[in-house]
Amino acid sequence: MKKSSPLSVALAFLVVAIPLGWGFYRSVKNSLPLFTAGRAPAVAPAPPPAAR
Amino acid sequence: MSSFLDRERTVASPGFSRWLVPPAAIAVQMCIGEIYGFSVFNLPLTRAIGITQSLPDRDWKVPQVVLATYSLGLVILGLAAAFLGKWVEREGPRKTMFASSCCFCGGLVVASFGVHLHNLAVVALGYGLLGGIGLGLGYIAPVSTLVKWFPDKPGMATGLAIMGFGSGAMVGAPFGVELMGRFRTPTSVGVGATFLVMAACYFVMMNFGTLIVRVPPPGWQPEGFAPSAQARKLVTTAQVAADEAMRTPQFYLLWGVLCCNVTAGIGILAQASPMCQDMFGVSPLVAGGFVGLLSIFNTLGRFAWSSASDFTGRKAIYVVYFLLGCSLYGLIPVSQRINSVALFVALTCVIISMYGAGFATIPAYLRDLFGTVQVGAIHGRIITAWSVAAVLGPQIVTNLSAYQRAHGVPRAEAYNTTVYIMAGILLAGLICNLLVRPVDPRHHAAEAGAPAAGAAST
Repeated sequence: MKKSSPLSVALAFLVVAIPLGWGFYRSVKNSLPLFTAGRAPAVAPAPPPAAR
Repeated sequence: MSSFLDRERTVASPGFSRWLVPPAAIAVQMCIGEIYGFSVFNLPLTRAIGITQSLPDRDWKVPQVVLATYSLGLVILGLAAAFLGKWVEREGPRKTMFASSCCFCGGLVVASFGVHLHNLAVVALGYGLLGGIGLGLGYIAPVSTLVKWFPDKPGMATGLAIMGFGSGAMVGAPFGVELMGRFRTPTSVGVGATFLVMAACYFVMMNFGTLIVRVPPPGWQPEGFAPSAQARKLVTTAQVAADEAMRTPQFYLLWGVLCCNVTAGIGILAQASPMCQDMFGVSPLVAGGFVGLLSIFNTLGRFAWSSASDFTGRKAIYVVYFLLGCSLYGLIPVSQRINSVALFVALTCVIISMYGAGFATIPAYLRDLFGTVQVGAIHGRIITAWSVAAVLGPQIVTNLSAYQRAHGVPRAEAYNTTVYIMAGILLAGLICNLLVRPVDPRHHAAEAGAPAAGAAST
């Protein structure tokens, strides 16, 4: 009976975890502007009452 | 070589750890999930001749590229999964995953040749048709294998595999961008060479999965697992063949469940960037960040929610997806009215996590209702709901918001009606889910573990 070693299981997970981790890191990096950048007003500001 | 790929050669010997199967499944799903990130090639492909800008008369247009690659690939995925499901069950995961790698990576090579010739039909033949067959085979084979290895945790197992598919864009999109950057020259946008390198890398990764995947021996059960101890009303110990499953109302109800869940989610996912910009006036850069965040939640939700379904039961978790999703959709116009981007982002992230979870939980739901023997084939047929939803969702969001704008609704409010419609679609899914009952025993195969007569004839 040939038993799978825990090391082979860990290595197998590592093989897929490396690209996954890289992709996750890139996604987090890409999402940073969402939390750091300012934004323009959603709609044009209404004219002041005096100008209506 | 062929004997190495046969199902008989993949039966696990005693002592094999079933935990080697999830990485095998993720390896395949992560590669084929690249289709979700294909949009990074859209713009470069429209500049294949003009390089710095698209030449109106000679270069392809974005809709043409999307149709020939992304749309065709997803449609063929559904068809391949539906028509080849029983072949997948008969031949086993190793042969199927190898065939998937040949089709998907071969498709990238053919598409590269098409880019070199600047012939969109060749690109469609490669990425759309051949690649689509690879997608269909690679999508169902690992899932069906995992369901058989993890009868005690089917939701977690399918969640892991389908999380791999969801992560395909997170990995594939930046990988494609990096490669195009390296291969770009004054005379080439670098897409053709990128496809070739991706084909080679994906072939290695997918066949890593092919090498380590195994099927459990007949009658295998995890140590200490007693099916009766985990008995639930909707979890059967009987087996239903794929053809017989299609004669049950449960099959069509689950088809409706998946279609509604995907339609509601994919509509937002496909339009996330313009929606965020239109509703809140954020810059394209920030909207891009929002899309990146959604892809993380889409990936993590697949594993988290599907794993939770092992404790709650599948029907209950879909009630959560639909009711919570419906409520959150209803709050999106509120976030727009109070101009809160943070609330909008939080709402959509949870919605998208449940969109991914809908994909991840459905194989376990199928296994609960129909057993494990032909769950891959049944899953393949259910996947057609995805193909329908992939057309419906984005069409509803795009056309309805355009209609609203054309009728004078301010740009920022043009999505409000759409999100209410999405909430309604989720309610329709909820009704389908609530109608699900255990499969009538007359549909069960005569002997547990064997498909019904005539079921394995093709």
